[in-house]
Amino acid sequence: MAKNLTIKNFHDGLINKEFTALEIAEGYYARIREKDGVINAYLSTREETALREAEQVDISIAKNEKVPMLAGIPFAVKDNMLVKNEITTAASKILEHYTSSYDATVIAKLKEQKTVLLGKTNLDEFAMGSSTENSAFKITTNPHDPTRVPGGSSGGSAAAVASDMAIAALGSDTGGSVRQPSAFCGMVGLKPTYGAVSRSGLIAMTSSLDQIGPITKTVEDAAIVFDVIRGKDPLDATSADPENSDTYREQLLNPDFSRIRKLRIGLPKEYFIDGLDPTVHSNIEKAISKMKSLGLSVQEVSLPHTKYAVPCYYIIVPAESSSNLARFDGIRYSRIRKQEIEGKQLQELYLMQRGEGFGAEPKRRIILGTFVLSSGYYDAYYDKAQRVRTLIKQDFEKAFESVDVLLTPLTPTLPFKIGEKVNDPLAMYLEDIFTLSLNLAGLPGLSLPVDKEFSTLPVGFQLIGKPFHEPDILGLGRLYEESR
Amino acid sequence: MQGMSDIISTKDLEHLAELARIKLDPTEEAKLLKDLSAILGYFDSLKELEVTNVTPLTGGTTLINVFRDDTERESTNRGAGEELFPEKENGYLKVPPVFK
Repeated sequence: MAKNLTIKNFHDGLINKEFTALEIAEGYYARIREKDGVINAYLSTREETALREAEQVDISIAKNEKVPMLAGIPFAVKDNMLVKNEITTAASKILEHYTSSYDATVIAKLKEQKTVLLGKTNLDEFAMGSSTENSAFKITTNPHDPTRVPGGSSGGSAAAVASDMAIAALGSDTGGSVRQPSAFCGMVGLKPTYGAVSRSGLIAMTSSLDQIGPITKTVEDAAIVFDVIRGKDPLDATSADPENSDTYREQLLNPDFSRIRKLRIGLPKEYFIDGLDPTVHSNIEKAISKMKSLGLSVQEVSLPHTKYAVPCYYIIVPAESSSNLARFDGIRYSRIRKQEIEGKQLQELYLMQRGEGFGAEPKRRIILGTFVLSSGYYDAYYDKAQRVRTLIKQDFEKAFESVDVLLTPLTPTLPFKIGEKVNDPLAMYLEDIFTLSLNLAGLPGLSLPVDKEFSTLPVGFQLIGKPFHEPDILGLGRLYEESR
Repeated sequence: MQGMSDIISTKDLEHLAELARIKLDPTEEAKLLKDLSAILGYFDSLKELEVTNVTPLTGGTTLINVFRDDTERESTNRGAGEELFPEKENGYLKVPPVFK
């Protein structure tokens, strides 16, 4: 049975009839049964439906019909995106029994491609966290070391792809939740420009920051998935595709490396901090040397407000989260028994359902958000954070006057031990130090491994692009990957 | 602006929890007070920035006036999530009274 397939070689093998979509899907479910008892990447699987989806692809192939690029691809989806008639929990008890009433736009696009959706993956509850330990249901482990976290919040998706329990997956990224688990698991992760991908059907955490992005084995695969899911959607008013043209698509899927080699790389000096783990640091230096040897110019740039990004982010996120999570009142979307309602006032019911339904991190963020938005503190916190956000965005705009792409570390540390940071929220928040500024500024970011093979634990680095310039970072990432 | 880190008392926390409609047990309250104090203390660094003349970035996009066509479309979410509720009639849920 073919193992460790990429989208590209699955597609080629499928149309050349080297295997059937059904065989491959069955192989993936066999692997899930064999491995997921330790890794715990999936919250739910849908084998019967998925195998029928695979059979449909095989029927098209047998009839020699042209099939889309993602047809038959065994795909995993983070469990905060709605797949019609499937349970969507966001890894929260408050949604434990909620059946999705419609398809998220990204899911509708995957279904149009005849993708085989294997199942829904684990996450930090409501995507709040950097280790996937905040799930109400299970703790996902890092496929490279089961005593360590896979990163988060899309840890289930990254672990599923890294352990070949899916060829590719979708995650969501509010402050690093696609990129950081990709780095911790040795995979490729793309956080698209704010607005590039519709969030309709993504359970909202922080609406001004959330984006959906692919987690894949190669940069080429990330570009293929991104090309499928991107685009303007009337159901998400923030979505846009200002660069939509054949040239753009060509650059995305078949980068012209002579153009890519002319990109100017900037290294933001504020990202090379004292607290950076020495192994991470030496790996980033290695990536920079590699870029230079590929003929790219590298220069230092400055993003002076970098040190304010974490506090700015952790004011804006709880504020928006507290509003978004207000819709979960414990009455709709949650199971409740008749005897639990009787004799209670409505407010008592809310307090009980939300008190029992939310885990520690959502409670912390809802209460912190309620505080920073409350009368008397709004100006000092929320309004201030929004102004600081402008400064952070302007830093990037200024840097992009002299360079085209930024190269930075992705995480300050190697994948940490399970249990090491879960009770110290501030330590966990600092994990996002290199990733969250992009979300504040709305920029695209790519996470990719420094090395293809690594002796102990993977290390990733980050490429940051100008808004809607995904072809730059994906093209550069591909050049790096193919000459690695 | 006063010192941020010691800003939330137990009483304040209970008020916030009530506003947020979340029932907390005493263990959760103690942990939250400790966490919030550390987190708010960390926010103190923002005080050194002068931002009076900076325009706030109020969202993730600079798009304005995005409208959908005024046409009929299939409603995707009407009545969603209500199937788990025990008592309902004609699309209404029978919840407890607001006042006793």
